[in-house]
Amino acid sequence: MISLQRLKPAFWNHADDSGNYSGLNLKRKWKLIVLLTSILALSPLIIMTLVDFNLTRRTIETESNTRMINSLHTLAGIMAASLAQNPSTDRAHVLWQDAFHQLNTGSDNDLFLVDATGHLVTPSFHYDRKNGQATLDTRLFTQTDGIVDWQTPDGTAVLAGYARIPGTPLTLVQLRQADWLKDLWLKPRLKLLWFLCVSIVLILLSIMGMATYLVGRIHASERRRIEALHHEEHANRLASIGRLASGVAHEINNPLDIINQKTGLMIDLLTLGKEKSPDQRLLPLAEDALEAVKRCGTITRQLLGFARHMEPSVEPVDIEEVISQVLALVETDAHHRNIAVQVSPIPAVPGFECDRSSLLQIFLNLAENAITAMASKGILTIDVSRGKADQVTITVSDTGKGISPEDLPKIFEPFYSSRNDRWGAGLGLAITYGLIQEMGGDITVKSIVGKGTRFVLTLPVKAARPPASDGALHLPGSGIPVASNSKNIPQGAMHVTKQK
Amino acid sequence: MGLKILLVDDEQEFIETLSERLQMRDLDSHAVFDGKTALAQVQSHPPQVMIIDLKMPGMDGIQVLKQVKQTHPCIRVIILTGHGSEQDRKICMDLGASAYFQKPVDIDELNAAIRQRSGNGPPNPSGTDDFNHSFDTGCRRT
Repeated sequence: MISLQRLKPAFWNHADDSGNYSGLNLKRKWKLIVLLTSILALSPLIIMTLVDFNLTRRTIETESNTRMINSLHTLAGIMAASLAQNPSTDRAHVLWQDAFHQLNTGSDNDLFLVDATGHLVTPSFHYDRKNGQATLDTRLFTQTDGIVDWQTPDGTAVLAGYARIPGTPLTLVQLRQADWLKDLWLKPRLKLLWFLCVSIVLILLSIMGMATYLVGRIHASERRRIEALHHEEHANRLASIGRLASGVAHEINNPLDIINQKTGLMIDLLTLGKEKSPDQRLLPLAEDALEAVKRCGTITRQLLGFARHMEPSVEPVDIEEVISQVLALVETDAHHRNIAVQVSPIPAVPGFECDRSSLLQIFLNLAENAITAMASKGILTIDVSRGKADQVTITVSDTGKGISPEDLPKIFEPFYSSRNDRWGAGLGLAITYGLIQEMGGDITVKSIVGKGTRFVLTLPVKAARPPASDGALHLPGSGIPVASNSKNIPQGAMHVTKQK
Repeated sequence: MGLKILLVDDEQEFIETLSERLQMRDLDSHAVFDGKTALAQVQSHPPQVMIIDLKMPGMDGIQVLKQVKQTHPCIRVIILTGHGSEQDRKICMDLGASAYFQKPVDIDELNAAIRQRSGNGPPNPSGTDDFNHSFDTGCRRT
């Protein structure tokens, strides 16, 4: 069963999901291709074999009939010559016995003589000498020679050859079982039939193989197209969120500064002005309002920062700032789910540069992934450390439901999702993987079911090259190498490394 | 009275309040609500410092900045906007703006920026300021 599962092409089970995106049912396409090609390839072969089959049968039948008639004629000629010298029934009887032995007769090869009235002159395996006349075919007495099919009284289908002995009223009759000829033509034909069957199987196999290969290619390119579409959609979504955020931030900044200045003026009047404050509480109240304005200002600045840098470009990036931006975006969600966010002190990484929006998206995807894994309650931990001299190691871990060892190798594959909702297209981690690859980095994952998952990112301090400059997508295919090491990794953990 | 300041912003509530607050900080500030009036004001009563919003109906902040710098290069211009992007900041600084603030602005920071380099405020420790000092002084002489 396992080997059968392995033989099954990738599109066979995916026909329902990815097929729906493109409107293609690949399973049906495969069946159609196999059916049509099989009909086209096999029908001439089968028809030709059948024609040859019939032709051979007919040829052999005609040939053996001719031979039968000829031998009967020869016998009749000999008998005629002998009877011409001594025309008597006894002589005919003797002659018949000679011929009888000569032809090696038996119940399947009967030979007898009848006279012109239909009376059997000699004994027969199939006919009585007395009442044989009634059951004999009348053609025997009316025609000089021929071959006819008939049935004997005991129900055997026979082929009867007959020839009149010239100069006598006697007719020589030979009965052979109707299927005796089969042996002559069927055996060699059976070999041919066997050969036909083998070639049909071979042709069918190669057609199926070819169809599988072709449809597999269609499936692969279809998937690549859909992945590209999703990637674009994802990027577009992020960009439009960015535009919306910056629009809102800009529009809020103006009224916010009115509140700022009005409250500021109140404080000014209370502190710099000459009048005495009517109530001692006014000043702290105004200061609280000003504090709230400052907080709003921080938020709008973060939104503007998020919206900025949507164009991919390598630039110096402050990791701490990016992380705080991401946290500002996921904070509400985390708060609602009762999830605590822990960020250990982030060491300064001087000279760290990368594509800011990619880094933002990587963190956002990992953080969202972690929050989704913890339905309610849990701790999301982000830890940044300097690894080797030219590397930064970032750890994002959660205390969520974890990933089973069977699913672990699949999580970076496109369209893998543990969620079934609309947004769970299963591309978040695939895109993350692609972006990290573009940056020349590496991501590993360890997970224990029920305990949580830990993603460890390693990024080079200096960006390897301008990312996505060729506009190409770098999504991982199914070829993500997975190495398992039971010594170093706790049970149920896998190590997924970048393809070298 | 202190420095003569001209505030330009279409947000009247905001700019009048800001003007009042600056007056309370011993600055001779005056608010106008569009670029044209601002330029006319610059012609009749040239200020020492201008605070300009970028996004205004009619003439926008960048145009006002350009014209002011053409006719009165010694007026120091501070940009104060709610719509600023990095690109806008770069454009404004290239055009000769001396500071760029994003709303909501802290009055003390703004006050410091107005007084900075103008000789009226506390002495600036940064070394680059000497050049601006001499530049400002040179401007006043002509």
